[in-house]
Amino acid sequence: VRLKMRLQELQQLKRELRNSPKDKIPFPVPEFPLVFRGHTKQGRPVPKSLVSNLRICCPLPGGSALVIFDDPKVADQVLQQKEHKIDMEECWLRVQVQPLELPMVTTIQVSSQRNDQRVLVTGFPAELRLSEEELLDKLEIFFGKARNGGGDVETRELLQGSVVLGFAKEEVAQNLCRIGQFRVPLGRQEVPLRVFPYVSGEIQKAEIRSQTVLRSVLVLNIPDVLDGPEMHDILEIHFQKPTRGGGEVEALAVVPPGKQGLAVFTSESV
Amino acid sequence: MEADKDNNKQVLKEHQTNEELMKDDQNEGLIDEITKENIHLKEEIQKLEAELQEAAGVFQIKEDIPETKIKFTSLETPEDVSQFSNISYSFEVKSQVPYELQKGQALITFEKEEVAQNVLQMEKHRVQMEDVILEVTANPVPLNTGVRFQVHVEVSKMKINVTEIPDELPEDQMRDKLELSFCKSRLGGGEVESVDYDKRSGSAVITFVEAGVVDKILKKKEYPLYINQSCHRVVVSPYIERHVKKYQVFSGISKRTVLLKGIENIQMEEEIVEDLINIHFQREKNGGGEVDVVKCSLDQSYIAYFEE
Repeated sequence: VRLKMRLQELQQLKRELRNSPKDKIPFPVPEFPLVFRGHTKQGRPVPKSLVSNLRICCPLPGGSALVIFDDPKVADQVLQQKEHKIDMEECWLRVQVQPLELPMVTTIQVSSQRNDQRVLVTGFPAELRLSEEELLDKLEIFFGKARNGGGDVETRELLQGSVVLGFAKEEVAQNLCRIGQFRVPLGRQEVPLRVFPYVSGEIQKAEIRSQTVLRSVLVLNIPDVLDGPEMHDILEIHFQKPTRGGGEVEALAVVPPGKQGLAVFTSESV
Repeated sequence: MEADKDNNKQVLKEHQTNEELMKDDQNEGLIDEITKENIHLKEEIQKLEAELQEAAGVFQIKEDIPETKIKFTSLETPEDVSQFSNISYSFEVKSQVPYELQKGQALITFEKEEVAQNVLQMEKHRVQMEDVILEVTANPVPLNTGVRFQVHVEVSKMKINVTEIPDELPEDQMRDKLELSFCKSRLGGGEVESVDYDKRSGSAVITFVEAGVVDKILKKKEYPLYINQSCHRVVVSPYIERHVKKYQVFSGISKRTVLLKGIENIQMEEEIVEDLINIHFQREKNGGGEVDVVKCSLDQSYIAYFEE
């Protein structure tokens, strides 16, 4: 019974909203063309959003290497021994191996929040021939001047089709929104731009869990005896030997001692 | 569930006062029905709440990210040294813009925008369906607003969070004690660059000079803190920064897909109807052109996804 009342309440609100469409969204929203490609689902629930472009950058210390095997079982086998003796012609090297663990985000919750120090600048013509840096610079110069109604610019960000500027003082942002329209010199032309309040996103929750990367082995404490490419070859030969528990190596990257490297991982495409 | 049970009991009581004699099977059946109705009501409420939120300009994205397989792409040596102090994890989130395809409606996507615009302009179309001629109307697809943004998470390799620090010493002294305990390598620590201690919350952020110390310390959840003669166990956890970048609200507009209405009183299978619609709109003389996709709804509604 209580649920029915709540539903009626909401339906009433919805009706009221329909009758005053102007209250919908107080700021302009760029239009993105979308297309139906045949993906449908029956009934609910509907996943509300898509996650894409996953990219993880993991720093690797000097004197280390990352080995990626074709077969996850080979990696497990290699990891059974914490220390490996790598044979070279006249001597041998001792290195340590360990699994590679990376943080993975398992849940994300983001809600929109009005940001009173930032504004959204829109109205850029499609034919504008300016690089990202140039455009942001020109906007910062224009909106940084008090005589234009602006003030100190703290942040700047290029979105698709619009720019977000963050000001040190809230009053500056509010003032710019009040004025609303500006003629801004961008290169050879003066372009009419519009300024609106900006709604940004705040992370309410982001749960992170550590996950071991399959098929990967991190080799540590590689002594500084060989050049990068030579070390690469020696390691590859060692880890491919089935007699040493190794197997086919898909990739191998070496970080020479004294340097640092950034290992980049992306999501495997479906 | 408590609310459900209360509701159920309430409704049952009402029924019982009206009708004195009720058999047990009838009661069970009634409870089933009421539970189903409650579930349905809850779904409707959730949907409306989301719609109202969107209309007010408030968007909430709540997603569980399934386990993704990752693969090694490359080893880079960036010039920006600060990149070596964190493991950075980033991804993009884009809200799906669904359209609820009602019974009697169909969606048709054309290869070319001009064809879709033409079909819309013509408005009324007479489509041959075996022995019947169907009058359908072409409409633009009303799409909702969505959001897209990037999430950046940085797990520090140089800093850690320390909590549950006892409030036993003045600020300066405690800071020193923290540095002394965390710099001892026999305890798993390393050279400390700085300590940011907040006495009120009993927490601190410790920055080390070298990366790698953090990994050792975080193997355990606690770390020993020596204060004078006694040893306290403080809790250690990773120092993680998370931000949202390029947050943008957008409104979906369909340029190549058209909504057809009026597909009623047809005694055919959806697939056959889709084929017939496809054939009709492929023909230039019908105002159409190359068709990419057709989806028709006759007996049940579908959720259709619109993508970029």
